[in-house]
Amino acid sequence: MAEIGKDKDAGFLKEVVRLAGPEVRTCIQCGTCSASCPTASLMDKKPRQIIKMVLECRKDEALSAKSPWFCTSCQACVVRCPRGINPRAVMSAVREICEHEGRVPKDLSYDEIFQRQVRENGRVSELQISGEYALANPKSTVQAMELGLEMVPRRKISLERVKVKRPEEIERIFEELGKA
Amino acid sequence: MTEQGTEQDTKEQDQSRGMRLAYYPGCVSKSTGKEMDLSTRAVCSALDIALEELEDWNCCGATHVANDLISVGLAARNMAQTDLPIMTPCAICYSNLRSAARCMDEPTVRAKVNAALTKKYSGAQVKHVLDVVIDALSKDPDKVAVPLTGLKVAPYYGCLMTRPRGGIDSPEYPTILEKLIRYLKADPVNFRLKTFCCGGPIFTTEQQAAEDVAYQILSEAKKAGAEVIVTLCPLCHLMLDAKQKSLETKRGETFGIPVLYVTQLVGIALGLGPDELGLNMNSVSPVPIIDKVYESMT
Repeated sequence: MAEIGKDKDAGFLKEVVRLAGPEVRTCIQCGTCSASCPTASLMDKKPRQIIKMVLECRKDEALSAKSPWFCTSCQACVVRCPRGINPRAVMSAVREICEHEGRVPKDLSYDEIFQRQVRENGRVSELQISGEYALANPKSTVQAMELGLEMVPRRKISLERVKVKRPEEIERIFEELGKA
Repeated sequence: MTEQGTEQDTKEQDQSRGMRLAYYPGCVSKSTGKEMDLSTRAVCSALDIALEELEDWNCCGATHVANDLISVGLAARNMAQTDLPIMTPCAICYSNLRSAARCMDEPTVRAKVNAALTKKYSGAQVKHVLDVVIDALSKDPDKVAVPLTGLKVAPYYGCLMTRPRGGIDSPEYPTILEKLIRYLKADPVNFRLKTFCCGGPIFTTEQQAAEDVAYQILSEAKKAGAEVIVTLCPLCHLMLDAKQKSLETKRGETFGIPVLYVTQLVGIALGLGPDELGLNMNSVSPVPIIDKVYESMT
């Protein structure tokens, strides 16, 4: 990717535009996204600031921010943005670029585990996902066990192995649409 | 993706009694959302709606697939499996199917996605169970055998039920759930955080942040005087019901508010039994509200 300054990366903006749509270039920095976000108060950089970093090609700063991992994908910002931007998709794009570059702040990202299970089986088993995530992130074990204690006595944990009948079609979706 | 195009309405089906729908239960219906699946099937059966489960449904990707085109592909594979309108009880699946149907209106997206699919997508009509139930009850209000008179219900939409825009109701101030609650003769409370996200999608990875959000919602429901919260999404349900006890311990506050899936609440009003509705699977016991409802009848 082309370096256009010591900390600027023009390819970064292009990649975000490819993943999240060209509307992001029209941002007027009004801050409606930040004001609408249910987790903004817990973010180090607010959604508006992440978009500014993207527009200014400040890749390193954007990828170092913790906020994209606090996005719940609730789309409050999407339905309110006066410029028709999809800030949720900008957050996803930054996370995806982090994953590609091995800059995920957790030992192993939840999204990665989730997607691998969908890709392999076509469906997900919550038990398998929590188990795999807990192995990679031992700190999450307490919470997983706490939830298990709620679910097991109510027979809400399934040990059944889930898989679609035509997994090869799922593989094609990931393979072909992932690079399109 | 642009926002052009309207919801697919090419396969408008007979809305009258005895209707048939394709059923997309979603992954959690096999585990943490079992009571959602059970009560959906029971309520539809009581309302003369025949459900045909999609033959080989796959996960919609929930909120965890960052690549939008892959998300569209996963949803389109489900929608291509039927010519009937597709109904799901999960707001996340519903939002993903709706978003995908809208994206598939664009010929370039449709061509790309269809190239990866065995059975090609040619349009779909997507419904949430709320849609279907409210429609059935508006035509046949006498089905409410056990009016929930005086029960104070917090209508909790969560985030994705009304998002993206253009679905069942306004993403800013929806009122359709209040309408349903009134059909059941219960009283919807004024619930300010009704479209606020529950924090669920990040509860595994950012526990503290997710719990902060869920705590705000429970506090607001308590302030509003709710005796029960009604949800449309299994993740909202998990955050508010399964985690309620642990939130009470951590924050030193008592809530004790039962959280019911909309189909469980409707099922009670239709006179269905606790086992049919999976009421023993809820973490916060709904017994007090059932007692109240039946007491008010006598």
